Amino acid sequence: MNRKDIIRKSLIGFVGLVVLVVAGIRFYQHRHFKEQVVIGDQVKVKKLGNYFDGVKGTFNDCNIYFIEGTEPGATMMILGGSHPEEPAGRLTALVMVENARITKGRLIVVLSANRSATSVTRPSAAYPQLFTIPTAWGGQQFRMGDRWSNPLDQWPDPEVYIHYPGKQNLAYMDIRNLNRAWPGRANGTLTEKTTFAFMNLIKQEKVDVVIDLHEAELQYPVINTIVTHEKGQDLATMASMTLTDFEGFSIGTEFSPKNLHGLSHREIGDYSDAISLLLEAPEPFLDATRGITGAEQLLEGKDAFVVKAGKHGLLYAPIDDKGWPIATRVGRHTSTVLQIMQSWNEFHPEKELVCEGVPKYTELIAKGLGAFLIDPGSVAKGKVVFE
Amino acid sequence: MKTLIMRRVPRLLILVFLSSLFSFAANQAVAQTASEPVLLTSCGQSPGPVRLKIFLQKLNVNFDYNLQAKADDLISKKKEGKPYKSIIIVTGASLKGMGAAGVSMDDELSRTKALIAEAKKQGIKIIGSHIEGMARRSQGATAGDNTDEMSIDAVCNVCDFMIVKKEGDSDGRFTTISKGKNIPLILFELNTEISDVLKKVYNK
Repeated sequence: MNRKDIIRKSLIGFVGLVVLVVAGIRFYQHRHFKEQVVIGDQVKVKKLGNYFDGVKGTFNDCNIYFIEGTEPGATMMILGGSHPEEPAGRLTALVMVENARITKGRLIVVLSANRSATSVTRPSAAYPQLFTIPTAWGGQQFRMGDRWSNPLDQWPDPEVYIHYPGKQNLAYMDIRNLNRAWPGRANGTLTEKTTFAFMNLIKQEKVDVVIDLHEAELQYPVINTIVTHEKGQDLATMASMTLTDFEGFSIGTEFSPKNLHGLSHREIGDYSDAISLLLEAPEPFLDATRGITGAEQLLEGKDAFVVKAGKHGLLYAPIDDKGWPIATRVGRHTSTVLQIMQSWNEFHPEKELVCEGVPKYTELIAKGLGAFLIDPGSVAKGKVVFE
Repeated sequence: MKTLIMRRVPRLLILVFLSSLFSFAANQAVAQTASEPVLLTSCGQSPGPVRLKIFLQKLNVNFDYNLQAKADDLISKKKEGKPYKSIIIVTGASLKGMGAAGVSMDDELSRTKALIAEAKKQGIKIIGSHIEGMARRSQGATAGDNTDEMSIDAVCNVCDFMIVKKEGDSDGRFTTISKGKNIPLILFELNTEISDVLKKVYNK
């Protein structure tokens, strides 16, 4: 090797090293970024590891927020962050933790159901690592995530993923997809151990209704809907009809297919006494035909290419130049959750769940999402926990 | 003579048109009723029937809920001496629903055809329904997927009267069937109005 080659290869090696170090620092900062959650006097925080030792101390040992009323009643669990690339789910859960006041019954809220998936973004998809929700006090930052657990926590993927216990052959990478890993198993992968721990929680805490919050691309047929287990058909239908009549937006229902395994709306209903529902709001950011990918598009939900796809009849949800802003998407979720509570109370007057303080769809659109986030700097230190 | 015919034909045509209009309007005006026991079923396995089920329960209507009801179910009910007096078939297709039931659209269409044939044979009143609005029409489906419309064609063209959410008729699909086939059409706007519609139909 002559001197010229040595210099050329050293330079290339150096550039590679710089890229590696810079990327490594960014990956580290993203993975360890601390999101702040303000908890009120009614909120108690536990860990998922309290329900299964197998996740204790792992990256998925997430916070579980309990908000309990003074009067007994039903227990509802809200799951945000099953798919952290669908931020409306996590943000809805945050709005509920910071604003909900329960007078009857109990609310259990999870912001990072698959915390590992909040620490990674989609390779080569140009996702932003962080995004900011503007507030009157400056703005609050959050981690953008992915659909799958971080390969740092679970690797390698097998060539074939056979769901347990359904024995269904699923896409290989879905072995890291929390919503293909229900009901989980004690000696499985981290993702399976996580759902196993949640199943223990659901059974031990005698949860009546589980609502898993999601978002979907507009080219996916299951959108603007409540997917329901057989046990929840009346509840979901009543909520859907009332919302469509009176809340200012349309939401349908879909039955959970019995032969599609691993999903929360199927397996939680099958393997526990709880009713399992899954909500889908529209997120143009996820559409394959989207244009420039970034935090602005993620939060404003505007995309000229997706609008064009709509003009060609390729979408299952409407979209125009106004897009689907994050406040609208979160508002759909909060109103739907509140209406499900209301409909539950109509069907079960002897076991009510009464919740106040959570903003609904029209309020969120009018005031913006930031109006309902509490400034962590304005409260005592002990009232802030980290996700 | 020729001039006389030429003069009378337009008048005749106007008369025929007016009388058909009158008959259509009369059909809309006449209150549509049906009797119990009722069979509530689906053509296309959409979640729409659950909406009717909730209100039928609230109104204490005597009904069976069977999303995959077959002609044999009508026959066995008749043998028991408790024949159905009316059937509500809710149209609109759902891939998730058909997947859950393990059936195809072809299965749904042939099941429904046999069910309707047996119902007609037994003199059971058939109510065709579409409950979920435009979201459960081809506008809400994949480009080229016309399963929603196939289920509507299979039921609404041959039923005794229709109960339809007005928003789902925003392209005039059901009004056209109603006019063309002279089938009465009951339209409702809000989901909560389903209760009033069923109250009148089943005299509750």
